[in-house]
Amino acid sequence: MLEARSEQIDWEAALVQRARSGDVRAFERLYREHIGRVYGLCLRLTRDEASAQDCAQEAFINAWRALERFETRSSLATWLHRIAVNVVLAKRRRRSALVELPEEAAELDESEWTLDTPVEVSEIEAAIGELPPGARDVLVLSGIYGYGHAEVARMLGVAEGTCKAQLHRARALLRAKLSLEDAS
Amino acid sequence: MSDEQAKITSLRELPQEIAPPRDLWPQLEARLAAEPRRAHRLRDIVSRPLVAAGALIFAVAVGIGIGRLGSPSHTTVMVPGAGVGAMNLTPTAYARDRAALLAALPAQLAALPPESRAKVAASLATIQKSIKDIQAALGREPGNALLQGLLVDSYQDEMRVLTSVQEAAATGREI
Repeated sequence: MLEARSEQIDWEAALVQRARSGDVRAFERLYREHIGRVYGLCLRLTRDEASAQDCAQEAFINAWRALERFETRSSLATWLHRIAVNVVLAKRRRRSALVELPEEAAELDESEWTLDTPVEVSEIEAAIGELPPGARDVLVLSGIYGYGHAEVARMLGVAEGTCKAQLHRARALLRAKLSLEDAS
Repeated sequence: MSDEQAKITSLRELPQEIAPPRDLWPQLEARLAAEPRRAHRLRDIVSRPLVAAGALIFAVAVGIGIGRLGSPSHTTVMVPGAGVGAMNLTPTAYARDRAALLAALPAQLAALPPESRAKVAASLATIQKSIKDIQAALGREPGNALLQGLLVDSYQDEMRVLTSVQEAAATGREI
C-alpha cells in the first residue's frame, strides 16, 4: 500500500517534470488524474455547473503557467486545490468575501464532526449548498477535503481564527438545516 | 444513483471527486496551444549521435519487453530525438559508446574537484533509479507511450551527464 503510494508520487513527479518542459501529453495525464477533485471542489464552492467548469479549466491553465514554481516534494493535489480556490475567490470578486469573525467564537471540537442521525448524500449536499459562501468554503475544504485550519486559512487568505469561527458557524447552520428538514 | 439513497453521518464520507459533465480537456488543450511556448531547458552539451544513441537503448529495452524486436545486433530503429531528426543506429553503437564513457568515468571523475564528483554521483544515481522504476512500470504497461518517452529522456539524461564529465575532464571546465 505504502509502496503503491510512493510509486504514485514518483510517477507524478516525472509527469510534472515533462509538463514543465512543454509536454502537453504529460500535462493531460496530470489533468485526468486530478480533474475529479478539482472540479468537485469548484462545484461545491460555486454551486453552479457552468461556473465550476470555467473555474476548473482556469485552474489548470494557471497551473500550467505556474508549473515551474511547483515543488515536486509537495502534494500536487493540494497545490491544484489552492489554485482552484484562488480562481473561485477571484471570480466572486469579493462579492461574498469571508466575514472576519471574532476569534473568541472559535471554540471548536477538533474531533471528527458527525451528524446525530444518518442523512442522505443528496440532502446533505443540498444543505451545504445553502450555506453562506464564507462558511461553506471552510466547511467544504475542512469537512470534505480534510484540510487543517492552517491550510484552509492559507487557501482562503483569512486568519486561522476566522477559519475556525466560520467552521463553527457552518456546522451549526448545517445541523439546524438538517434537523429542520427532518422535522418537516 | 446509489448515492441518492446512501445515508452518511460524516462529511468525510462524501465523494471528493466529481466528474465534470463533459470532457474539459479539448478546450483546455486549445487554450494551452495559444500559450507562449515553454522554453526547452535541455543543455546543449551532448553530441547528436549520443542523444540518439541514448534513445536507442530505450527502443531496444521496450522491444525486448514486448517481444517485438529480434536480435539487437540486427535491429535498426528510427529515433525521433529532440532536434536530432530521425536516425538509424545499431544497438551495438550505443552500447559501445556508453561502455567507453563508463570505462573512462572513474579516471575523469578523479580529475574533478570533490564537489563536482559528488554532484555527478548523485545525478547518476537519481537517473539510474529513475530508469529502473520506469522499466518496472513498462513491464506492467509495455504499450504506454508516455513511459516510453520518459525512458528515452532518462537515457538521454544519463548520456548528458557522462558526456559533460568527459568534456569537463578534457577541458578543465567546471560542471
